[in-house]
Amino acid sequence: MNNIDASAHYEVEATGQTPSLLTLIIDTNPRAWAALDGSLPFSKAVANILVFVNAHLAFGNDNQVAILAAHSNRAVWLYPPPPGRHARHGSSSGGDRDGDVEMAGANGQNGDSARQGAASSANKYPQFASIEASIVSSLRSLVSETAASSLPATTLVAGALTTALAYIHKTSLAYAPPKQSSDPANPTTAATVTATQTPTLHARILAISVSDSEPAQYIATMNAVFAASHARIPIDTLSLSPHASPTFLQQAAFITGGAYLSCAANPSGLLSYLMFGFLPDAEARTHLVTPSQDSIDFRAACFCHRKVIDTGFVCSICLSIFCEVPEGSECLTCGTKLALGKYGAKPVVVVRKKKKKKRINGLTGREETGSATGTPAPT
Amino acid sequence: MADSDGEYQANDGSDDEFGDHQVAPSNRTRGQAGAPSKGQRRAAWEDVTRTWEVLEENEDGTIKRIETAEAKKRARLMKDTTPLQRGIIRHLVLVLDMSFAMAEKDLLPNRHELTMAYTREFVREYFEQNPISQLGIIGMRDGVAVRISDMSGNPADHLEMLTDWVKKEPQGNPSLQNALEMCRGALFHAPSHGTREVLIVYGALMSSDPGDIHETISAVIKDRIRVSVVGISAQVAICAELCAKTNGGDGSSYSIALHEQHLRDLLLDVTTPPATRVTEQNNASLLMMGFPSRTMATGDTINYCACHNRPTREGYECTRCGSRVCRLPAECPGCSLTLILSTHLARSYHHLFPLRNWVDVPWSDAGRSTACYACLTPFPVYSRQLAEHAPVGLSESARYACEVCGNHFCIDCDLFAHEVLHNCPGCQSDTRGVPDGEADVDGTVLQTNGSASAMEIDS
Repeated sequence: MNNIDASAHYEVEATGQTPSLLTLIIDTNPRAWAALDGSLPFSKAVANILVFVNAHLAFGNDNQVAILAAHSNRAVWLYPPPPGRHARHGSSSGGDRDGDVEMAGANGQNGDSARQGAASSANKYPQFASIEASIVSSLRSLVSETAASSLPATTLVAGALTTALAYIHKTSLAYAPPKQSSDPANPTTAATVTATQTPTLHARILAISVSDSEPAQYIATMNAVFAASHARIPIDTLSLSPHASPTFLQQAAFITGGAYLSCAANPSGLLSYLMFGFLPDAEARTHLVTPSQDSIDFRAACFCHRKVIDTGFVCSICLSIFCEVPEGSECLTCGTKLALGKYGAKPVVVVRKKKKKKRINGLTGREETGSATGTPAPT
Repeated sequence: MADSDGEYQANDGSDDEFGDHQVAPSNRTRGQAGAPSKGQRRAAWEDVTRTWEVLEENEDGTIKRIETAEAKKRARLMKDTTPLQRGIIRHLVLVLDMSFAMAEKDLLPNRHELTMAYTREFVREYFEQNPISQLGIIGMRDGVAVRISDMSGNPADHLEMLTDWVKKEPQGNPSLQNALEMCRGALFHAPSHGTREVLIVYGALMSSDPGDIHETISAVIKDRIRVSVVGISAQVAICAELCAKTNGGDGSSYSIALHEQHLRDLLLDVTTPPATRVTEQNNASLLMMGFPSRTMATGDTINYCACHNRPTREGYECTRCGSRVCRLPAECPGCSLTLILSTHLARSYHHLFPLRNWVDVPWSDAGRSTACYACLTPFPVYSRQLAEHAPVGLSESARYACEVCGNHFCIDCDLFAHEVLHNCPGCQSDTRGVPDGEADVDGTVLQTNGSASAMEIDS
């Protein structure tokens, strides 16, 4: 508890161990979990995740955890419970401790393991118990607020990533060494503060994904991914579903130096995957060989036909991608009239004939530079 | 749970910056003019170089100075969120003054070392903001221009070359004309769809030129090169003229650094792609690009990459000719197709679709939220004392609202979202109110109320 409300940073110097913040994003798309129900019911998955979270917290006294749910139409905090719900949550968490029999009632699948876990909380390390109570009650309210009609097949991973990054940023600010603001002259401090932003806190994001990436969220997801890469926060991804491929998260793992694993072949082994693949933090990973990806699909989807292409045309103004030269060579997005280059470029080894020089001056192709004269020597 | 949070509301949220803890005490001692003990005064003498500025602002009250620094940062955020056409594909030559003038110690430790440190930062930031752009670095020393690094799209190259130059003492006269001529040469091959820019860091008050610099300036204008200058000592007429003429009469690209932090800010401002001028729009063109996937060499084999002739196992295969390159973005060495990752394009989109500024929330509207929507930091609750000591330039309730989704955020999240993230956590996390994306697909219109109340879906 102390860790969460940021009071812990006053004791950091004493312990000497770098705290590690694990931000967990759980994809809670109801459809995808329904499809997985045979091999890995949601309740079991939550129980496994809780074991993993507890293992992370047990690693160090200062370790922290934050858990978000990426639902089909919103992203919500599960573990530091949002204070807006405080009144409701305060009363319900008190009820959870002892009389949590009605807990399983909200969702039929919210089965045995979760109930047992919460019921034995009197004998538990209080932090584990409070996290568990918070997650279970948050998930219950999330599920009960979800209407059965119009459930999209995707989740708001971008929103969850964005919120997680903002939280990590705030937490790392609390841990950051006191800035020498009165001494901006020292270039070494100025450079290191921005470059290695969180030397006092190892933050990482783990996304447990069951659904496909939503193309509409591409830009938002990539903005978040680049912000993570800027702050050196690895985004790990565990894909559970055999029916979905979270392409964006796969790219995110590559860009941020995180690990990507797919346990689609055997989803019931979720806990093993979590424990062996994702438990070590950034510091420990330098000594380990992390699971690597053989090949990553980096092909892009064109804006005109939504075809996946490997060679395409890009508007130099708005960077829209097209699979063929658009009609009238006008950009479909920004409407700019585009000049066409010579795309059947010759191999560079071919010696240019002298004759060609004349044509270059008249054309507005790639080679055109605006100044017809060569670079004159200084006079 | 509820207890501990409530406590922090009073404690932690009342001053909205963690940094305030750190700065305030030392500042307060400075305010009580004669009071500080000997040890403290010595520390202040070492730390603060421009005492007159501090004193001037101290007259308003000590807290205010810190707040205005914060407000200034936010003020910088408030500009240009109108979507503009920007030159995303840039070709920039950075010209560094390495003349005798850079040995001055008015910026600590000295101008040269400080510039070098900030240049390294600049290079990183430039390629972060402009992943498909090119950069070259030129130095001015001994009356000539020296090439530090060639035009290249790889930050590692530049940083490597720069380290060799850090230790060299600045010496000789600077020559603006020689540097500009070399810039023209470096930018000569830049294709017409990209921008051509020169950024000069100029510490000297003179230029020792071999010929008429006005001829060079007109040649630079003819080549459509835009020049911006960051001066370190004082304004120089020729630099002002150079900037004004090459930017179509707009002299705002010439600025003088007042102190170290200002120099850094001025440099990093240039990493944002420049808005396209109307007269340049006809240079838009359609570029052919390849989006190769990352592949591993089959079996136990090892490939040589075509770009560096180095053995690698992983690589990217040119989508047109099949040569393997080890690193992107690159130009295929075989067929000179531009090879990039689609994510590099995505990195530039935020320049084209910037996040809208968030607005201050008055106390009358602050009751809606008790904590920052994104990071869950508690907000201060209303009190007479807080309202009277409202900081200048900042939101009086320490809340900032996104106008689209209506959620409230703290100033840290505001700065982070606008400077680094370029996403609004609130808008991205709730599509219940916004009829876009998946809501469009099946034609259902969701309720248009974005507030975080109960979920209602009309189908």
